[in-house]
Amino acid sequence: MKTIWFHLMPYPELPDDFTDEHRSVWVDIDPALFDARVGHRMYNEYIDELEFAASVGFDGVGINEHHSNAYGLMPSPNLIAAALARTCPDAALVVLGDSVALYNPPIRVAEEFAMLDCISGGRLVAGFPVGTPMDTLYAYGNNPATLRERYHEGIELILKAWTADDVFSFNGKYSKLRYVNCWPRPAQKPHPPIWIPGGGSVDTWEWCARVGYSYLYLSYFGYKAALKTMQGFWKCVEDAGRPANPFQAGFAQFFGVADSEAEAIELYREPAEYFFNRCLHVYPGFADPPGYKTLNTVRNGAEGMVERAAREANERAAQAAKKAERKAAQQSFSAASHMSFEQMVEKGYVIVGNPDQVAEKTVEMAKQLRIGHVMSLCHFGNMSRDLAMHNTELMATKVLPQIRHLWDDEWEDEWWPQPLPASDRVMPSPRPTVSR
Amino acid sequence: MIDLAQWKAGSLEIWREGEGRTVGYLHGMVCAPGRQPFVTELASRGFEVVAPSLPGYSRTAPSDDIRNIHDWVFALSEIIDVAGLAGAPMVASSTGAMLALELAAVRPEAFSSLVLVAPLGLWRDDLPVADPFSTTLSGQRALLTKDPTTTALFFEDHESGDALVDATIQRYTARTATASLVWPLPEFGLSQRIHRVSCPVTLVWGSDDQIIDPSYADSFAACLRDVRGRHVVNGAGHLAEWDDPSAVASIAASALN
Repeated sequence: MKTIWFHLMPYPELPDDFTDEHRSVWVDIDPALFDARVGHRMYNEYIDELEFAASVGFDGVGINEHHSNAYGLMPSPNLIAAALARTCPDAALVVLGDSVALYNPPIRVAEEFAMLDCISGGRLVAGFPVGTPMDTLYAYGNNPATLRERYHEGIELILKAWTADDVFSFNGKYSKLRYVNCWPRPAQKPHPPIWIPGGGSVDTWEWCARVGYSYLYLSYFGYKAALKTMQGFWKCVEDAGRPANPFQAGFAQFFGVADSEAEAIELYREPAEYFFNRCLHVYPGFADPPGYKTLNTVRNGAEGMVERAAREANERAAQAAKKAERKAAQQSFSAASHMSFEQMVEKGYVIVGNPDQVAEKTVEMAKQLRIGHVMSLCHFGNMSRDLAMHNTELMATKVLPQIRHLWDDEWEDEWWPQPLPASDRVMPSPRPTVSR
Repeated sequence: MIDLAQWKAGSLEIWREGEGRTVGYLHGMVCAPGRQPFVTELASRGFEVVAPSLPGYSRTAPSDDIRNIHDWVFALSEIIDVAGLAGAPMVASSTGAMLALELAAVRPEAFSSLVLVAPLGLWRDDLPVADPFSTTLSGQRALLTKDPTTTALFFEDHESGDALVDATIQRYTARTATASLVWPLPEFGLSQRIHRVSCPVTLVWGSDDQIIDPSYADSFAACLRDVRGRHVVNGAGHLAEWDDPSAVASIAASALN
């Protein structure tokens, strides 16, 4: 099993009264809350953490794309990936990814991913998410009625740009290009492995199963709640007549490792509560715009991940309001609407414990969901760099050795990057000393 | 009477009611078109009202070919031909009114006259048109009409089992069709074409329109060639013909006569 150290890059200083005073962490969050000094520190510390994770033995480092979002401050994951391509010489670069429909024309994605693949010597995983409604429709103004068609057409263009032997014209419905000629070309042939991050779209399951892409369920709500979704995906794989290779699937999970369970609970309580109770404060009105879901998904009654976040926040608020009304208590609305860390652990949102406990639960998760790729979130919320690195080191040195070999004797990871041979690889050279 | 005609994308639902001079009715955003009190009110004033449902609404097939305003205008042009409404007077509401203006700008003979209820299509930075979708369903109802019960047919479940699933899909498709017309904001360059609209126009606005401020009537009047009347329906919201069918029907009948 491969473990990718995945960063969301949340803004770490949202005020304590954020959920009381602001309606959403996404789309219309108050610009005045952003302090560039915090941004400067945050980006540098977060890149430190990713580089540290690569250095202590994680199989890959992962990043993704969000817009107008205080819990995901990577409007351009490719910028971060470019930095990591130079400083993380061995880890896979898992970019999850570029939201194809937001790039006009999408050939830009083909070019930048090809650059990353060349700089890194063939270590790129090319993630192609549709993107959330908040990112694609509200922040970037795409039309929900045409978003998915635009997305699929964009992927078609990118793949052809990477693989065509000749310059070609592309007469798409949304992209019309007289000359398509992607320079540079990716280092991996025919192209980097493609992973599709998704929520609960039935059509995405069927598509990944049919064409053989790796499906990645990026849920924030833990492995216990993910079973139905992953079973849906594996049913599609079966229906498509493909082998149930666990490496065709991945899952995102929060982890908190310490020397003891009690210490883990103490260490990770605050950042987890910050993330789940503050960062996921999404206004429900943004979560389900018409046209975003496919009709199959509507028919199936599936609920998207962000939709769930918004619903849960709303439900907690409603419950809190009722409770407050009943008791006429003086307690604050936000305090009552918060979920406790114990509840998060109980529901499996965060796997916490000593290394052996975490390893055991992770193997249980991987077997239940049948996944070969774990997107491990060892930084979350307002966690400090020191704590993130402590968590990362324990995970790398004491958990990964216990989980790494899962599936290896039965299945080959066909979705992992194939770097250039060592003889062709160039490492960043030390800077020469210049005498002045 | 409901007709199911055919247009290029498949079925085209057309509601016909009343006898007399033919007048078209083009519905607005989100709602369930077809049989509704306004059509009956207008028909009772001596008209044959012909009300086609736009692509994606009711049983009119959505079209995969519609990707921009040009495609929408082309679709409407075909639909009024199929419905026998070319050259007839048209009462149009909201997004339907925007489309009617867009069509009249490129095909001036499409309508003999227009009665427009809160048309979209222009944009003022000082009074942005509201986003009808970045809200909850109850918030959406409050944006559309002053009296939220008038849109019950669209927003509330009256079915069960498979019929409920079908109704859910139909509502979702209609909301998607609306989204495709107003996303990210409903301004597609009409201000550069609207001077081509040559037929007489009557403007009607609900006094409590929460989507597009009634003062937009000034903006439309300033760039239309032949505005014959301007009316405010007190106590009505954006879809004024749903809030006060009788008042809007009276205004329309008077304008058409």
